[in-house]
Amino acid sequence: MTDFLLTQIINYGTPILGAIVFIGAIGAPFPGTLIVIAAGAFSKQGILPWATTGLIALTCVVLGDSLSYGMGYYARDRILQRFQNSKRWAQAESTFYRWGGMSVFWTRFLITGIAVPVNLIAGTSDFRFRRFILYDLIGECIWIFGYGGLGYLFGNQWEVVSNFLGNVSGLALGLLLLVAGIVLAVRWLKATQLKTNS
Amino acid sequence: MTPARQRLLFISLIVMGLIFVVFFGVRFVHTFREFNGHRPRHFSQLQSAPAETDVTLIRDWMTIGYLSHAYQLPPDLLYEALNIPPNGNEHKSLKQLNKKYYPEAPGIVVEKVKAAILANQPPQSPLTPDTPGPPATAIPPVKP
Repeated sequence: MTDFLLTQIINYGTPILGAIVFIGAIGAPFPGTLIVIAAGAFSKQGILPWATTGLIALTCVVLGDSLSYGMGYYARDRILQRFQNSKRWAQAESTFYRWGGMSVFWTRFLITGIAVPVNLIAGTSDFRFRRFILYDLIGECIWIFGYGGLGYLFGNQWEVVSNFLGNVSGLALGLLLLVAGIVLAVRWLKATQLKTNS
Repeated sequence: MTPARQRLLFISLIVMGLIFVVFFGVRFVHTFREFNGHRPRHFSQLQSAPAETDVTLIRDWMTIGYLSHAYQLPPDLLYEALNIPPNGNEHKSLKQLNKKYYPEAPGIVVEKVKAAILANQPPQSPLTPDTPGPPATAIPPVKP
């Protein structure tokens, strides 16, 4: 899949890159980060015009994110029908409202594997679109211009950069899961202790 | 959520987290060493894209057009080396060309392209501008 996408980018240029990041943002399992870094290297080689490419890719990825937010938003009624009276749903919604901005920001470029679920949750919960788009835009600017810029800087060594950043992303996701697990474990232990004391 | 389910949830999160951390941690250390050995080009070199010379960077997803651009060689030269016509093959990757023209020899197209590029590269000057010359004191003064 990756090889096929890279061939299409060198054949058809920026429109294909835009389409790839757009489709990736609505949930297709494309290697988006690798593609963005490669596009930076292709810009360095003069295959893609860097400014136009960056702007088109940014526009497409933000549109894709907005669409997946929209999917969550329009699924909200169905979900609320099921969980409306659930205390946990209200709790989850208020937690997302508090931490949602940071979740949207970090999942744009660092923990990209959970970006689409975060978009859907943001749409489903009471997270405002204006807030979503602000964090989304900042995060995606880092993804497109920061990661693409690394591809540009490192040129023909872009594969090394891509491998490195892919592992950083996996490591960050692992740490996030670990911290979430530990937090839940501590809460569970406290609740169990309270039960035994009473 | 029942306490048993809660316990299952946090244990699964911790186990998955540990697997991810160990797996990507090991890969991170390896790639960090590799990455640390590379440096971006100097800013003054970024303005121009010099011709690529390293043929080990050739991959089978690349096209003849792309290679001709990157290595600054005429595409016809590469098509000739592969003994195939340019028409209809402009957008095909080396892998696709291999499958179409040399199905019995996987990888031969990449090898042929590498050989053609190496054979047609301009000769490298022994001293590049970045290469420091020998120190002035290295040559002993000649006594009459």
